Amino acid sequence: MSKLQTPSHPNMSRRDMLRIAGIGTAGAALAACAAPAASTDAGADSEPAMEPVSVIATTSMPVNTFDNALDRSMERIPGIEMEVNANGWGEGGWDGYSDTLLTRIAGGEQIDVIMIAIEGLRLLTAKNVLVALDDFLAGDAPANEILQNDVHVTLREMLQVDGKQYEYPFSWNNMVMYYNTAIFEEEGLDPPSTDWNWDDFLETCLAVANVTGGADDRFAYSFWGAGMFGMAAWYFNNDVSPLSDDWLDSNLLDPKVAETVQFMADLILEHKVAPSPEGWDEWAQFHAGNLVMRTCGRWCIGGSLEAEFETYDIQYQPHQAGPLKTVAGTDGWGVSTSSENPHEAWEVVKLLSDTDTSIDMVQLGGNIPALRSVAEMPVFSEYGPPNTALFYESLDFAATVPSPTNFNIVEPILNRNYATIWNGERSVEEALQAAHDELQPEMDKLKA
Amino acid sequence: MTSTALSEDRVDRQAKHQRSQALARREALAGYLFATPALLGLLVFTALPIVASLILIFLHYDLLTPPKWAGAENITRLATDSRMFKIYWNSLRLTIGATLLNNVLGLLLAVGLNRAMPWGLRYVLRTSIFFPVMTTTASLAVVWRFLLTQDRGVVNFLIGQIGLDPVPWLSSSTWALVSAMIYDVWKSCGYLMVIYLAGLQGIPAVYYEAARIDGAGFWQQFRNVTLPLISPTAFFAIVISLIGAFQIFDNVWVLTEGGPGDASRVIAMYIYEKAFRGFEMGYASAVSFTLFIILITLTLLQFLGARRWVHYE
Repeated sequence: MSKLQTPSHPNMSRRDMLRIAGIGTAGAALAACAAPAASTDAGADSEPAMEPVSVIATTSMPVNTFDNALDRSMERIPGIEMEVNANGWGEGGWDGYSDTLLTRIAGGEQIDVIMIAIEGLRLLTAKNVLVALDDFLAGDAPANEILQNDVHVTLREMLQVDGKQYEYPFSWNNMVMYYNTAIFEEEGLDPPSTDWNWDDFLETCLAVANVTGGADDRFAYSFWGAGMFGMAAWYFNNDVSPLSDDWLDSNLLDPKVAETVQFMADLILEHKVAPSPEGWDEWAQFHAGNLVMRTCGRWCIGGSLEAEFETYDIQYQPHQAGPLKTVAGTDGWGVSTSSENPHEAWEVVKLLSDTDTSIDMVQLGGNIPALRSVAEMPVFSEYGPPNTALFYESLDFAATVPSPTNFNIVEPILNRNYATIWNGERSVEEALQAAHDELQPEMDKLKA
Repeated sequence: MTSTALSEDRVDRQAKHQRSQALARREALAGYLFATPALLGLLVFTALPIVASLILIFLHYDLLTPPKWAGAENITRLATDSRMFKIYWNSLRLTIGATLLNNVLGLLLAVGLNRAMPWGLRYVLRTSIFFPVMTTTASLAVVWRFLLTQDRGVVNFLIGQIGLDPVPWLSSSTWALVSAMIYDVWKSCGYLMVIYLAGLQGIPAVYYEAARIDGAGFWQQFRNVTLPLISPTAFFAIVISLIGAFQIFDNVWVLTEGGPGDASRVIAMYIYEKAFRGFEMGYASAVSFTLFIILITLTLLQFLGARRWVHYE
């Protein structure tokens, strides 16, 4: 009886092939779990490369901020091919930025110079992503001189962890109240005074708002509804913070936190002078005159310059309790531990933090420069509203935005729970309790 | 037959057998070589991640530092993760709603466009309906955010014109998931329309002619001819749309960011959050494996159920 046989291969059966493929797959899977090797010579001890080397910097700012710096790099650091690319913001602010950055580094992407703000600094140092700059500074007197004498001590210290300088400060921000001067004038209102309080603010809101649900709606004020920086602008002016002073515990059950959040929620739900933050385009509505006031840092000048919107000025956030405080956060440039050319990376750090680059940023309406000398230049006030000196003046009473090591975990927890307050689905107390219950275990992990 | 002749016959058969085996070897080798590129792709992009994910379940791994053994910790944690269950509930609701609406609307649009009409109108309609499929999700979702914003949003403005109160499309826990569903149906039903259209055009006209001769009207033709004969296409469309709906990520990400709270967060977003925000690759793998098991189970159930309602000619 003939038998139909399946063609077989004596040396390579299907089973053999599957077995080999399985072993290969498992081996490759295990290999994929291995952490990317960090450059062992990263640090201040390696010798400078002789050939032109590629140094890649990544930033949170629009990359065109550094177009002129790229041109200057060809002349000033000819042995280095510098590139500046943008790192995505992910879902949120600096938390999303840090996550994207870490994922890129873990993926083996070459990033030599890293811009990070204080919000993400501790996370990055905890992951051993940044080289301490102290050795570079010790061997570079001019750079150290600038850092010590032209950068405010608050900004300098913000970018230190355990006494080590991990980032060279480039720019910083506080949060101030932007207001439409034309509408204030039209409504017969005086510009807000430096010492205005929450009652004054609410009175102003009620005077300028015109919300009927129609096409001509004009909201008095809008806030992000999320983000540590934006919320801290309000918390700090009520002498409270969502985290303990050492950033190791939740402080969400402090009655002043509830008072602050309630005041903000009432703007939306009770007084109806502020829109629901979800989907609201604050920039466009402010420039269109549909929004009278907003809280923002200096970077918002950039949008107004682009929109050629000039009828606005700034004032401090309204104050409620405790000493006058403004929230502040600094960013800077640092050297990645994965950089194979740390010396060249340090040269790029200096170039991207220098006076010329700071002026470029100021002219585009970006952040407040870390260099005092640039903030005192006429160009700083030229590219800003009349009261622009307020930005740098506030530094003396600036308080650092809470920036724990697990900032990328903390901020989303807060944001998720805030959202259920702004839409009226949960009371302030319920939402803050829920946020606290979620946050505290995460904070406890920092102490383990 | 002499013993010599028998011996020669045996040698001849052995030679034939060897030639046949050699040919089979060559064929097998050629087959493996042809299959190798696809097999390699499958290994690298499908099997490897699955195996890596399986291994990661038993590790604590943050991408930047070496993994540590976690034992069954990531698996036991699943049982106590109330957020995950809530988010699965969102995914389930979104999947059922989106799959149902996408398929019903896709089929109805296909039936409508399969009817006689001026060719220009047909092409305009087909292109218009398919257009959202070709456009990037991120840009479309940004436009939809502007449309659905509660205050000064276009949709609420139009609703206001007919005297209704504004709807908190994006900021309400009730409406956020509905908004995500509406957006998904608008974005995806064009794709299913094309699949159904191809299925409809594959039905021989003789069946309709026979039905008409028998006196069947439009509804009877649709019920007794179109539906049975399009069932293989419908089966394919339902399977892929259900799997796709369970894996929705970008639509919701850009439209609501999963909010308010977790009201519109879906399971793919949660896996991403655990993997690339918390850098808990082990736990993210454990959650993704639950999704893998759910999808396999659902697909198997569909294949089993298909025996009852899918008809091949």
